Amino acid sequence: MMPFRLEFWRFITFLSYVIGGKPTFAVIKQKQPIPAVFQSSNHPIMKQFLQIGLLMLLVSSFVLAQGTTDPASATRRTNGQATVSGYIKDAANGEGLIGVSVFVKEAGTGITTNSYGFYSLTLPLGTYNLVYSYVGFSKQNRTIDLTSQNVRLDIELKEEGRDLQEVTVSTKREDDNVKSMAMSVNTVEMKTIQKIPALLGEVDVIRSIQLLPGVSTVGEGATGFNVRGGNVDQNLVLLDEAPVYNSSHLFGFFSVFNPDAVKDVKLVKGGIPAVYGGRISSILDVRMKEGNSKKTTVSGGIGLIFSRLTLEQPLFKDKNGQARGSFIIAGRRSYADILAKPFLTGDLKGSRFFFYDLTAKANYRINAKNTIYLSGYLGRDVFGADFGFNWGNTTTSLRWNHVFSDKLFLNTTAFYSNYDYLLDSDLKRKNTKDFFNWKSGIVNYSIKPDFTLFLKNNTLTFGGQAIVYDFQPGLATAASGGEVRTFGLENKYALESALYIGNEQVVSRKLQLQYGLRYSLYNYIGPGEAYEFQTDVPPNQRRFPVSTTTYKRNEPIKTYGNWEPRFSAKYELNEVSSLKMSYNRLAQYIHLVSNTTASTPLDVWTPSTNNIKPQIADQIAGGYFRNLGKTGTEYEVSVELYYKWLQNQVDYIDGADLLLNKYLEGDLLNGKGRAYGAEFFVKKNRGDLTGWVSYTLAKTERFVDGINNNRWFPTRFDKRHTVNIVALYDLNKRWSFSGTFAFATGTPGTFPTNGYLFQGYLVPHNAENSRNNYRIPPYHRLDLAATLQNRKKKPTQKWESNWVFSVYNSYARRNPFSVYFRQAEDKRTVTLNGEQVQIPVAEAVRYSVFATLIPSATYNFKF
Amino acid sequence: MKNNQIFGFSVIHVILLGLLLLGMTSCEDPIDINLQTGPSQLAIDGWLTNQPGPQTIKLTRTAGYFDAAQPPAALGATVIVADEDSVIHEFVDSKGTGNYVWTPKPGEVFGKIGKRYLLGIRYEGQEYYAISQMNPVPTIDSLVFREEKPNPLEKRTAFEGEFYARDLPNRTDYYWIRTYRNGKKLDGTENILVSYDGSFNGSANTDGLLFIQPIRTSINPDSLYNMNDSVKVEVLSITPDAFYFFLQLSTQINNGGLFASPPANVPTNVINRNASGPKAVGFFGVSAVSSKAVKVEPALIRPSED
Repeated sequence: MMPFRLEFWRFITFLSYVIGGKPTFAVIKQKQPIPAVFQSSNHPIMKQFLQIGLLMLLVSSFVLAQGTTDPASATRRTNGQATVSGYIKDAANGEGLIGVSVFVKEAGTGITTNSYGFYSLTLPLGTYNLVYSYVGFSKQNRTIDLTSQNVRLDIELKEEGRDLQEVTVSTKREDDNVKSMAMSVNTVEMKTIQKIPALLGEVDVIRSIQLLPGVSTVGEGATGFNVRGGNVDQNLVLLDEAPVYNSSHLFGFFSVFNPDAVKDVKLVKGGIPAVYGGRISSILDVRMKEGNSKKTTVSGGIGLIFSRLTLEQPLFKDKNGQARGSFIIAGRRSYADILAKPFLTGDLKGSRFFFYDLTAKANYRINAKNTIYLSGYLGRDVFGADFGFNWGNTTTSLRWNHVFSDKLFLNTTAFYSNYDYLLDSDLKRKNTKDFFNWKSGIVNYSIKPDFTLFLKNNTLTFGGQAIVYDFQPGLATAASGGEVRTFGLENKYALESALYIGNEQVVSRKLQLQYGLRYSLYNYIGPGEAYEFQTDVPPNQRRFPVSTTTYKRNEPIKTYGNWEPRFSAKYELNEVSSLKMSYNRLAQYIHLVSNTTASTPLDVWTPSTNNIKPQIADQIAGGYFRNLGKTGTEYEVSVELYYKWLQNQVDYIDGADLLLNKYLEGDLLNGKGRAYGAEFFVKKNRGDLTGWVSYTLAKTERFVDGINNNRWFPTRFDKRHTVNIVALYDLNKRWSFSGTFAFATGTPGTFPTNGYLFQGYLVPHNAENSRNNYRIPPYHRLDLAATLQNRKKKPTQKWESNWVFSVYNSYARRNPFSVYFRQAEDKRTVTLNGEQVQIPVAEAVRYSVFATLIPSATYNFKF
Repeated sequence: MKNNQIFGFSVIHVILLGLLLLGMTSCEDPIDINLQTGPSQLAIDGWLTNQPGPQTIKLTRTAGYFDAAQPPAALGATVIVADEDSVIHEFVDSKGTGNYVWTPKPGEVFGKIGKRYLLGIRYEGQEYYAISQMNPVPTIDSLVFREEKPNPLEKRTAFEGEFYARDLPNRTDYYWIRTYRNGKKLDGTENILVSYDGSFNGSANTDGLLFIQPIRTSINPDSLYNMNDSVKVEVLSITPDAFYFFLQLSTQINNGGLFASPPANVPTNVINRNASGPKAVGFFGVSAVSSKAVKVEPALIRPSED
C-alpha cells in the first residue's frame, strides 16, 4: 500500500498549497518518490485534479481576501468588525457540545457550534449580550466587549433539572426546528435512545432511528435501514467520521454501536451539505463521547445479550486540576456462550458463539488552537465449533482540530476502516486432507481536511477527501483428498477523491441559504483485470466475458467524475414557522452486492468498474416547520415532501452467482429508481410526557430492463404507510415509562400464479413473470419499558444504578417478515391412474422473526 | 434459508447455530392465501439416461399453484427425440396419462456419450424443441460409512455415507447426484445436489480433484443410515444449462427466511419455434449415469474422523 500513502501526502500538500500558499503540514517535507500518477500534469487523473484545483484556488483567494489566516489578527480588529469564538463544553464532563445556540440579542442573529463544539461570530464593533443555550442545559448570558479586539470565549454549560429527571427529546436548539437551516435532519439524543424500549433490553442506535419518519427496514432482524427509498448500502454510516461497512451484530439483530460510548446521533436524509459525499441516500453521523475530563467514571450494565463496561478518565491534569485531555474505553460482549458452556458436551464442546465490540477514544488539547482526537472501534461476531465463521469491522480515526484564527477552523481526519470475514470448514484442521477456507473484505484509508471559515453573515466550508480502497472480493483455499488449490478473486483497487465548497449565507433575518458544490473523482485502478462482456444478450440473462485486459499497478482502468450541486433555503414566515426547500445530487462509487431480502455478513462490497457505473441520486425536498405551545417550543411540527431519482442502481439476473465469481459483472443489471413521499412529524419536547408521532406516506419503485416485463415495480422494502409513536413518561423521581408503537404496510413479495411438477418437485411459476406482485400482511408492534432508579443510601453516594424492564412485541403478534411458498415436508399419497403415488403438498408460509413477546431486564450502574 | 451452494456445507449449520439464540422466537406457520391463477402452459419433465429400460417424458399443463401437485396431463402430443445422426426415437403415450414412453428393442440402450439430442414436441398446433448433450461421467470408486451422530443434540449414532469419485480432468464437467435409500429416492427439496468439477458453483478450480468433502457426504438423509440399509448413489453428467437450471430450482423451492433471494421463474430450455406463441416450462436433459449400490455393513465402516 506504500504508493497510496504517498498519494495522501501529495494530496495534502496540494490542498495546503491551494489554501494557504504554503504547506501547513511539516511532515510532508520527507523526501519520498512521487508516484507516477502525480508526476505528469498530462496524466488524466492529474489533469482533472488540476482543474478542480484551479477552482479551489479561485475560491480560496476569495476566502483569503475576506478572512485571514494571519495569527496576529487575533488581537487586531479588521474592517470595523471583530470576532468572538471559542469552544462550548459540558460542565459535568468536559464533553464538547454540538449544536449549541449562540444568540446575539442586539443583532437578532446567531450561530450554532460545530461537531467539535466550536463557534465563531463576526460582528460590527460594539458591546453585545450573548445567550448560550442548549436544550437540557442552563442558559448562560455573557456581555462581551468587541469594541477593540477579537475575543476568545470558552464556555461551560451546566445541565439543568438534574433532580427533576426531566427528559428532553428536542433537537439541540430550542427553536431549531424552525430556525435551523437544516431540513430532513433528525437528531436523537442518546438519553432518548436509552429510554426507548429496546429488543432484549439492548439499547440500539439503528433500531431507534427506524422510528423516525422516512426511515424503514425490509423487516425486523434485517441489517441496516432504508432511508427515503434508498438501499441499505446507500447510507454513509460514520463513527467519528470513519465509515462502518456492516453496522450489525448477529445478522442484523443488534447494531455495532455501544450506547454507552455514543454522544450524538444525527441522520441526514436530504439537503445534504457539500461536506458529505460517497453515498446517495443518507448520512448517519455517530459521534463518540470524548471521555470525562473532570473525573474518573465507570459505568456499565448487564443485559440479556450483552454485558457492558465503560471507563472514562481525565488525562494530563495540571496543577490546577485542569485536564488537557481525556479518554473513554467501552466494551461489550455477549455472554450466552459462557452461560451455555456447562451444557455443551460432545460435539458441541468447544462451540464458540459470541460477539463483542470495543470502542475507545482519547483527546488531547495541545493548546488553545490545537486539539487531537484518536478513536478506534473493533467489533467481531464469532460463530463456530470445528467450522468457523466470523466477521467484523475495525475503524481508527485520527483527527486534528486546528484554529487558524478566530475565523478559520480546520478539522483534518485520517482514517482507516476495515470490514472482513472468514469462513473455514474446519478450524482445527482435524482433517488436513479436506477443508475449505474463505476470506473476503474491504479496507480503506482516507484523509479529509475540512475547513470552516466564519465570516459576517457567511459560514464557508471547504475541503476535500481522498479515499484509497482495497477490495478483497474473496480468496478461497480448498483441499480435497489432500490436494490443495487456492482460487478466488484478485484484489481490486480504487481511489476516490473529492473537493468541495459550501456556504451558509444569512441573506436577511428571514431568508437563509446554504449552497455548495462537490466534485468527486473516482479512479478504478490496477493492478487488475478488466473484462468486456457480451452486449447481444437479452436482458436478465448472464453475459459472458468476451475479452480481458490486464492493467499494471496504479494504471487507471476507468475514471468517473461527478459534479454534485447542493442547495437549501429557509424562509422564516414568522417567529414560529418557516418554509424550507432543498436540492442535492450525490454520487456513490462502491456497491454492496446482495440480492437477498436481508443483506448477510457475506455480502461483498464491489467498486465501480468499466462495467458498473456509479450510482447517482437527485433529491428535491420541501417542508413546512412550526413550533407550538405555551413556551413557544413545547411542540415541534413538520411536514416534508420529497422526490428522488436514482440512476445506475445495481440489480441482479435471476440466479445470479454473486460469491467468488470472477465474472460477477456479467450477472449484474443496471436499473433506475424513483422514490417519493410525505413525512409528517409532531414532537413534544417538554413536560412529564414527551415523545413523537410520525407518519410517512411513501412509494419506492425500480425499473430494470428484463425484470417485471420492463415495467416499474415496487422495491422489496416499499411501504405505503408507516406510523411510529414514541412516548416517554416520567412518573416521579424513581419511575419512568416508555412505549413505542409501530405500524407499516406489508412489504411486497413475488407470489406464484401457477405451478408444475418436475422430477417430483413442485415448482412455483409466475405466468406473468412479474416481480413483487403481492403484499404481505401489515406489520404492527407495541413495545413497553419501565426504568426504576435505585435509591441512594446517602445523598453523597457515588454509586448510581437503575433497572430497565422491557417487553418487545407486547401483544405477541406474529408479524410477517415474508410470505413464501414451498412444498410441505411430508407428501400425500393419492391414487393416480390406478397407481398409489406420493405427491407434494403446496403451502404458503408466513415467516416471523419475533413471533412472540420478548421480555427482558437490564441493570445499569455508574460511579 | 437460501441454499448457498458455494459454501453450502457449513454455513447453513453455522447460521443455524447462530440463530439458535433467537431461534426460539422466530416461527414459520402455514397460512391461507388466495392466489390468482395465470394462463396454463405446457410443462415438460424429460430426463433421459443411458440406463437400460424404457425412457419417459412427462407432459403436463401448469395449474394454479395449490393444485399443481396433480396437474392435468397434456394429451395428444407428438414427441420425438433425435440424435445428431438423425436416429429418431418416438415417445408414445399409450395409456393416455401424459407419460410419453420410448421402449427399447431387446439389447438396445438409449444414448451415446458425446452425442447431442434434440427433443421435438408438437402440441396444440405449436412446435417446441429442446437440445441436450450426453457428456461423460466418472465412475464412483467407493461408498463407505462412518459412525456419527445425526446431529450434536442426539445421543444415538448412525452411519454417515461418503462416496469417492474423481472429477474428469482437463474439462469442465457438471454433475447431478442422486441417492436412493432402500430403493426410495431421497426427494426432499434439500436433496437437489449438483456439482461443478466435483465442487460447488463459482470460480473454484477443482478440475481433476476428488469430489470435495461436503459433496462426498451430501448423500445422507437427516437421520443418516442404519446398519443393513441399502444405499445407491448415482452421478449423472449434465450440461451447463442443466446445472444452472438445478441451482435455480433448488434456490426457488428452498427460498424462505431472512436471506431469501427474489423469487423468479426457474429457467427452461424448451423453446416454442413460434416466438410469439405460448411458452413452455420445464426441462429436457440427457445424462450418462454411473452408480454404486451397497449395503451398510461392518466391512464398509471406516473410523470416525473425530
